[in-house]
Amino acid sequence: MNNRFIVKPELCTGCRSCELACSFTHAVDGVRSLTRITPIDGGFKDLWVPVTCLQCDDAACIKSCLVNALKRNPVTGAVELNHEVCVNCMACVAACPFGCAVLDTQTNLIVKCDLCGGDPACAHFCPTKALEWKPIPKAVKKTG
Amino acid sequence: MIHITINGKVVQAKDGEMLLTVIRREQIDVPTLCHHEAVEPSGACRLCMVEITKPEWDGWCDYVTSCLYPAADGLIVNTHAPKVNELRSSILDMYLARHPKSPEIRQLAAEYGVLKTQFEEIVDGNNCILCGICTRICDTMGFHAISMVGRGHGKEVAPPLNMAPDACVGCLSCAKNCPTNYIEYNVSNGNLSIWKKDFKMAACKECGKTTITKEFAEYLSKNRDINIDYFENVTNVTEKN
Amino acid sequence: MKEYIGVDGYQALAKVLHKMTPDEVIDEIINSGLRGRGGGGFSAGKKWKICKNIKAEKHYVICNGDEGDPGAFMDRSIMEGDPHGVLEGMMIAAYAVGAKEGYIYVRDEYPLAVTHLEKAILDCERSGLLGENILGTDFSFSIKIARGAGAFVCGESSALMKSVAGEVGEPRATYIRSVVKGLYDEPTVLNNVETLVNVPTIIRKGADWYKSIGTKKSTGTKVFSLVGKVRNTGLIEVPMGITLREIIYDIGGGILDDRPFKAVQTGGPSGGCIPESMLDLPVDFDSLTEVGSMMGSGGMIVMDDTTCIVDVAKYFLEFLVEESCGKCTPCREGLYQLHKLLEKICSGKGEMSDIEKMERLSENVMIGSLCGLGKSGPNPLMSTLKYFKDEYIAHIKDKKCPAGVCPELITYKILDNCTGCMACIPACGYDAIEGKKKEVHVITQDKCTKCGACYAVCNFDSILVS
Repeated sequence: MNNRFIVKPELCTGCRSCELACSFTHAVDGVRSLTRITPIDGGFKDLWVPVTCLQCDDAACIKSCLVNALKRNPVTGAVELNHEVCVNCMACVAACPFGCAVLDTQTNLIVKCDLCGGDPACAHFCPTKALEWKPIPKAVKKTG
Repeated sequence: MIHITINGKVVQAKDGEMLLTVIRREQIDVPTLCHHEAVEPSGACRLCMVEITKPEWDGWCDYVTSCLYPAADGLIVNTHAPKVNELRSSILDMYLARHPKSPEIRQLAAEYGVLKTQFEEIVDGNNCILCGICTRICDTMGFHAISMVGRGHGKEVAPPLNMAPDACVGCLSCAKNCPTNYIEYNVSNGNLSIWKKDFKMAACKECGKTTITKEFAEYLSKNRDINIDYFENVTNVTEKN
Repeated sequence: MKEYIGVDGYQALAKVLHKMTPDEVIDEIINSGLRGRGGGGFSAGKKWKICKNIKAEKHYVICNGDEGDPGAFMDRSIMEGDPHGVLEGMMIAAYAVGAKEGYIYVRDEYPLAVTHLEKAILDCERSGLLGENILGTDFSFSIKIARGAGAFVCGESSALMKSVAGEVGEPRATYIRSVVKGLYDEPTVLNNVETLVNVPTIIRKGADWYKSIGTKKSTGTKVFSLVGKVRNTGLIEVPMGITLREIIYDIGGGILDDRPFKAVQTGGPSGGCIPESMLDLPVDFDSLTEVGSMMGSGGMIVMDDTTCIVDVAKYFLEFLVEESCGKCTPCREGLYQLHKLLEKICSGKGEMSDIEKMERLSENVMIGSLCGLGKSGPNPLMSTLKYFKDEYIAHIKDKKCPAGVCPELITYKILDNCTGCMACIPACGYDAIEGKKKEVHVITQDKCTKCGACYAVCNFDSILVS
């Protein structure tokens, strides 16, 4: 619970290694899944920002789910989607203001980041350490 | 925690957990047509029947639908006993007679060795197998827009009075979870129609992409306390690039 | 109401409330051996005991007055004639299990029963027999009437409870019994009208008196509706253990026109047919189940040699196909296919393999179905196949209906003893009969629709159905 994604956009090259890592990690029966993380163009030249689910405290996706398929994992804090329960109504896809719950058209399943059960693969594969999974740095006391 | 024996293997289960849940957890394939995790089990299709017995039953065994039978300590379950397989193929045979054109039914029946029904085929029938997944999902989601109408062989799924249902918000959950893909709907150009009712899709302000209907978005924002603006911002991160 | 009290009505209730504890009441009922009259024959007292011992916020008592069997009207006559007996039985049951609310489920086809029950409830409420603190004790109980739309399946306990709760009357799996989780998921005692009406008498006269009637395992009396081809039809109340022969020949006065007896169908649509060889069978729960029929609610249809057994099976199957709720596949599709096969046999297109097919399908429907309707649905077919296989074979192999019922397997012929009275000629609506006065008439087989109109008008028994 203490770990967070630490993103340093200035280090991101937009290489999309995180996407690949995600895609392979969540592959089902050898079929790669749609990625749950993607670097987006920050608007400036060469400034990329990897974006994935923020696991919001007051998550719109959980609120939108009418069949309780989305639940927060008490250990990892991730909002996890139970595909067995999900009825594909797309409510969470529409409700997420960041577009982080998406429909994988290949498998017809809605996918969203589940933090890989507490140890996200994307962070491991970031070659430039623009994306890290580690404890939040303690606030630095301002001096002077 | 209790212990039950499934096909000779002793497994752990929670007291009161349904047998099917335990069986599926053990990765044993038991066919079902009316089961969906989102809704209460109903025991309509009867395909998940298993043979159960207990040492103290003196060799007597019972056939129960595993989706509805609570696991009890010491239960001995056989998911593919000869009688169970015969029951399943018999039920699939009945399904095949009623829905000879449904590819899903044909495939499942073939898995149990039923390639052609021994009964009289109903040629002008539809592919609705009356599993009730659609109606139960609709009820669980709180809309109650469609229900089972009539009884016996003439039963069907329909909205009240067979008219466009007021309660329907066009979430398509009924159609998407239909095991035989029977429920028809149409999505095109930001319009959606199902159960003879027409809907407009809510479009993203930025990219114009549509995901759900306006009615559904309004329902969610009203009943689930979600900012309505969220639904006008459906930008998909992966598609933005 | 005054009349009911005049014949010791509500004495039992007073006795129970003032002198007995709920456990004593239950013990008395268990001791009396009273078994549910709805069909299953489960001990009423034991049912109450299970229900009482379950801790829950509320307990319910429901009276099952949904009598769906064709030709049965025992419960109707009780509800119309003795509504207070039903109410008193319910009150005692409620006291025993600790219920505060009760429902009587009556089908809407019985408006008089509803009116009489409503009046009885109102009378009781006015005189303090229903409501708060009944007869000065701290026992409170109220009864409401729930009206059903006359679906046969709503006589099934879980479907009935759903219907009372306002949902669609479909059964649910009863791996968890309704005495544990019934109406609104609370423990519920559901008893048949006839069962409940027996309760006050048992309390008043004692379990030992009740036990002295009937057999050891099936005590008391049972009301049957005796119909069909017997001289005296109607409702009869007989002690358990009486033989079928006594019922049909002594009480029923024998078969109409002294024709030979063929079979008696007991237990309503999902019961079975019992052949002549078993006429000396004592009528009680266990004996009937043993021969493949059941007590059911007590319908008894007597058939003579002019009844086609295949046609009878077809009739009951048709009834069940219509009344099946359609929830589970074996009942919905299986019974439909069985009915189709019977239709095929009746129309002369049957094959010998169909018999085996029916036997296998019946067995699977019986095991596979969700509720009692499907589980006992193939009974009429199975029992007739067991005892009257010859008749099925005659339909299939010889393409003949021995009883002369199935239209497509019979021909109408005019015998030589025809007097040429010409009565049959205008009776035939299809101009199939030709003939001159005082000459033997002839039926043109192509035109004959086998309606039987000529047979009905002929005064000289000259028309042969074969």
